[in-house]
Amino acid sequence: MLEYAEPVTKLIDEFKRLPGVGQKSAQRLAFHVLRMSEAEVERLVAALEEVKRKIVFCSICNNLTDVDPCRFCASTNRDRSIICVVEEPYNLVAIEKTRSYHGLYHILHGSLSPIRGIAPEDLRLANLLPRLRPENNDGVEVREVILATNPNTEGEATASYISRLLKPLGVRTTRIAMGMPVGSDLEYVDEVTMDKALANRHDI
Amino acid sequence: MLLESLEVHNFRNLSGKVSWSPGLNLIFGDNGQGKTNWLEAIYLLATTKSFRTQRPQEAIRFDENLAIVRGVVARSREVQRELQVTIQGSTKTLSVNSKREAVARYLGQLHTVAFTADELEVVRGGPDARRKFLDRGVVSLHHTYVQTLADYQRVIRQKNRLLQDAADAELSIAETAARLEPWNEQLIGLSAEIHRARVDYVNRLNEALERKLFGHEEVSIRYVSSLESKGDLSDYEALLTDRLRLRVQAEMAAGYALIGAHRDDLEILFDGRDMRTFGSSGQQRSALIILDLAAVSVYHSWHSEYPLFLMDDVDAELDRKRIDHLLEYLEGRTQTFVTTSKEGLVERYADRAYLVEVTNGIAQEINTSVSKSSTVITGTAGI
Repeated sequence: MLEYAEPVTKLIDEFKRLPGVGQKSAQRLAFHVLRMSEAEVERLVAALEEVKRKIVFCSICNNLTDVDPCRFCASTNRDRSIICVVEEPYNLVAIEKTRSYHGLYHILHGSLSPIRGIAPEDLRLANLLPRLRPENNDGVEVREVILATNPNTEGEATASYISRLLKPLGVRTTRIAMGMPVGSDLEYVDEVTMDKALANRHDI
Repeated sequence: MLLESLEVHNFRNLSGKVSWSPGLNLIFGDNGQGKTNWLEAIYLLATTKSFRTQRPQEAIRFDENLAIVRGVVARSREVQRELQVTIQGSTKTLSVNSKREAVARYLGQLHTVAFTADELEVVRGGPDARRKFLDRGVVSLHHTYVQTLADYQRVIRQKNRLLQDAADAELSIAETAARLEPWNEQLIGLSAEIHRARVDYVNRLNEALERKLFGHEEVSIRYVSSLESKGDLSDYEALLTDRLRLRVQAEMAAGYALIGAHRDDLEILFDGRDMRTFGSSGQQRSALIILDLAAVSVYHSWHSEYPLFLMDDVDAELDRKRIDHLLEYLEGRTQTFVTTSKEGLVERYADRAYLVEVTNGIAQEINTSVSKSSTVITGTAGI
């Protein structure tokens, strides 16, 4: 016999499918929904439906957007000669927060991982190479591609794969640096990061 | 470093608190009383792991949900720290001086070299046990090596899956080679790092080997790279790159990674002969002890302090002569914890050892002339 009435169990099971949500959190969320007013529930449902209906992939950079091309690709103020490749849309947000990068983006929606069944063809890569041609980029030649995938084995493999794709084209390809977080004290940095920072030291 | 005292709650059948001596601690009692459990608790406090089980919850006393192992460690005459490992369900919480610590910062507070029945795999089992022995040693000198190993294992797992998938999808050799490249590139860098770290550690061990501790037979060791007969090892990256390129088809056929540091081995020779095939079980034990003592010595010359030395069921593993040689060697060096069920050994060492009798999980110190650490810390050699 089910512990909860069928509709409640169904809702708990659906919440449990979400990343980072286990049995306890799912239960808490489900009971919260039960306490919500009818209007609040309708608002939540509408938001879920709307995000599914209105959000599409930008046909140029694969960003999630409600207008195609997205506001980055459509902007006339951005530097079109530089493209930063990231794994996920939230990585773009992290870079955008610096306010020091004014180029364009390319979002892969993942990283290479045979264990998780992600091969090169499962990444949104097919539309990257055509972007490098001036005729597909408002007449602007792309002079640099920054590979800003995550600094783990999967991110490194992805960066390595893309750099091999780009090599024959002769475009400058760079990898973001790894090292010390700025604004913190040396003593708070973990040993592995410290090790990388020492290995990647530079003359001043 | 010195373990001054150990307090245990609901860890296996143990309860209570024991103060230890800075020298030799002899834990004795009948079989099944919990002698090894006390050793396991010390090992857990040092490594956060058990030498018996992969699943921490198995070590919680039946019908309880929380086990605590807490110890006071003296790093010097003035500096003492309280380490604690709490096991609740399948999760472990670590703390230093009652504050929670991440595992990376916790490790290294207390280091042990342990001789147990399982560790005999190093001298008579497969290469995996020997690689682990070396890796434990490297980690004891360089903590960041843990990350190198983890990354390497991850890359190998990814590569193995890729090779299996390529075979299933009947990909061409050229296509498979292209897909392997991003992984092989990392494999080369990490494998080179591991290769150099292990070779360096083996050199240190070799310098520290007390080759003839147990008689006239001589122990020597040599790191054997799986690339050894394939070319010039001094340019490891170039050689590995070459081998990986040549062996794509073989790796595809095998369905797993055939080349790299995960295929290396450590050769242990006893009077020039391979320990694993030619050694008697007594010689194998002697060789392992000599390796463990070298690890103790390397640790000491790097950190200027001795690790703890743990040995389970000493008389099952060594004869009387070897026990005497070993304990004599350790005296004035390590703080040593040895378990035994033999009355004879206890009597023989009654005047030199701090005796702790274990009955039904409870440890009781037996009055002897040897004082415990909380009252006297003598010399610097044992600290």
